[in-house]
Amino acid sequence: MFSEALRESVDLSLFWDYREVMLSGLAFNFHVFAASATAAIALGLGAALLRVAQALPFRVLGTLHVETFRNAPDYIMLVWVHFVLPLLLGAALGMRIEFHPFASAVIALGLVYSGYYAETFRAGIQSIPRGHLEAGRACGMSERQILWRIVMPQVVRRMLPEGLNQLVSLFKATTIVSLITVPDLMYRVSMVTATEMKPLPLYTGAALLYFAVVFAAASLVRLASERWRRRILA
Amino acid sequence: MPAIRASGIRKRFGELEVLKGVSFDVRRGSVVSMIGASGSGKSTLLRCINRLETPTEGEVYVDGVPMGFVEDRGGRRRPRPLSEVNRLRRDLGMVFQQFNLWPHMTALGNVIEAPMRVRGLSRAEAVALGEAALEQVRLAEKRDAYPAHLSGGQQQRVAIARALAMQPKAMLFDEATSSLDPELTEEVLAVMRELAQRGTTMIVVTHEMRFAREVSDEVMFLHDGVIEESGPPEQVFGAPRSERCRQFLSKFIGQAR
Repeated sequence: MFSEALRESVDLSLFWDYREVMLSGLAFNFHVFAASATAAIALGLGAALLRVAQALPFRVLGTLHVETFRNAPDYIMLVWVHFVLPLLLGAALGMRIEFHPFASAVIALGLVYSGYYAETFRAGIQSIPRGHLEAGRACGMSERQILWRIVMPQVVRRMLPEGLNQLVSLFKATTIVSLITVPDLMYRVSMVTATEMKPLPLYTGAALLYFAVVFAAASLVRLASERWRRRILA
Repeated sequence: MPAIRASGIRKRFGELEVLKGVSFDVRRGSVVSMIGASGSGKSTLLRCINRLETPTEGEVYVDGVPMGFVEDRGGRRRPRPLSEVNRLRRDLGMVFQQFNLWPHMTALGNVIEAPMRVRGLSRAEAVALGEAALEQVRLAEKRDAYPAHLSGGQQQRVAIARALAMQPKAMLFDEATSSLDPELTEEVLAVMRELAQRGTTMIVVTHEMRFAREVSDEVMFLHDGVIEESGPPEQVFGAPRSERCRQFLSKFIGQAR
């Protein structure tokens, strides 16, 4: 019984037969990933800058953002953004509103991961020695120049391993968007399973494909950035 | 007109009053050393001059221009906007105890950053200026090295070059050698001596009494937030009038005298 199940799950010929369907599904994962990663990093940086701001209201706002989204399970956030948020907005504006599944997926994942990124950015920003900023001020640089020329380049280097981990998590999290009918790889797998009635090779194939993509991409980024990143360390 | 004039500087941090009304002039081309025990207010005073700290009271003038306020036609004073403070700051080069080089930039990158971003020079102009500044601190060959690969003394000399590249009206040294080993201290002091000989206006907060004695035109001894004694080095080191100054200097016997 077990050996039969094993044989069936490692026989990937069925998955191979559907390779075009599967790959076009994977393309949706990439699109959701790219858009929500961009949103997460931009929003995360914004929230981090609020959290390290001088004025208390800004700090409160930043903390609120982080705690709200970091503590929301991505699964629930996805369902909530797709089904509840349009109802609330629709009721408020007195019209019928619907979100495209792709948009809901990007908003939900972008928000959740912006909570994580905000914390990573904040830790990075606060780890830059005060003297580096003072040296910039003493040279007459503006606060904006100091942020973009002195602080952020160091923050990015310092947070790269952690930030990369979060990108990996985010990419894996894109597998739940099939839940709201974004036709990604998982969605394709369930569709094909419904007709072929052979879940084992299909899910195994999907798992291996996700693994290969994440592993290859993460290793490549790590390899390419390590020297550049280590330069600032003694 | 003095290159730098400090007038009635007071600085409070909460309950603690670190500077209790300090006034002095620095003539153009002269070297003023500030000595005194830790906590006497020397570094705070230096940081008040380029407004890394905002004085609670008093004003600093650089070439007669007040750092902290602007006066309208009616003679009313209002605080100088930060953008203008930034503009004035670039006339005062500062060298820190901890070097504070930017680790993600090469030596040359550190030196040309502010000339390009702040003075708006082209890259070529800034590089020419930066190479000359590195030459001046005898580190031309290290232009492409990152700070992590430089010794403390070399890092501090790059930091001096970074300040020089802005072609400031005066240089402020905040215990520039205090975190260096003795043999590295000498190479930095040698560069500072050269700057002094070229007629650079300098304010030097230091624990190097021999340097202060040999190089300064004037020495100020700070104690508890006031200038307790000041004068030419022969006087301050040779015949201090203040008992506290005498006590302080006695700890350095063998180094300075």
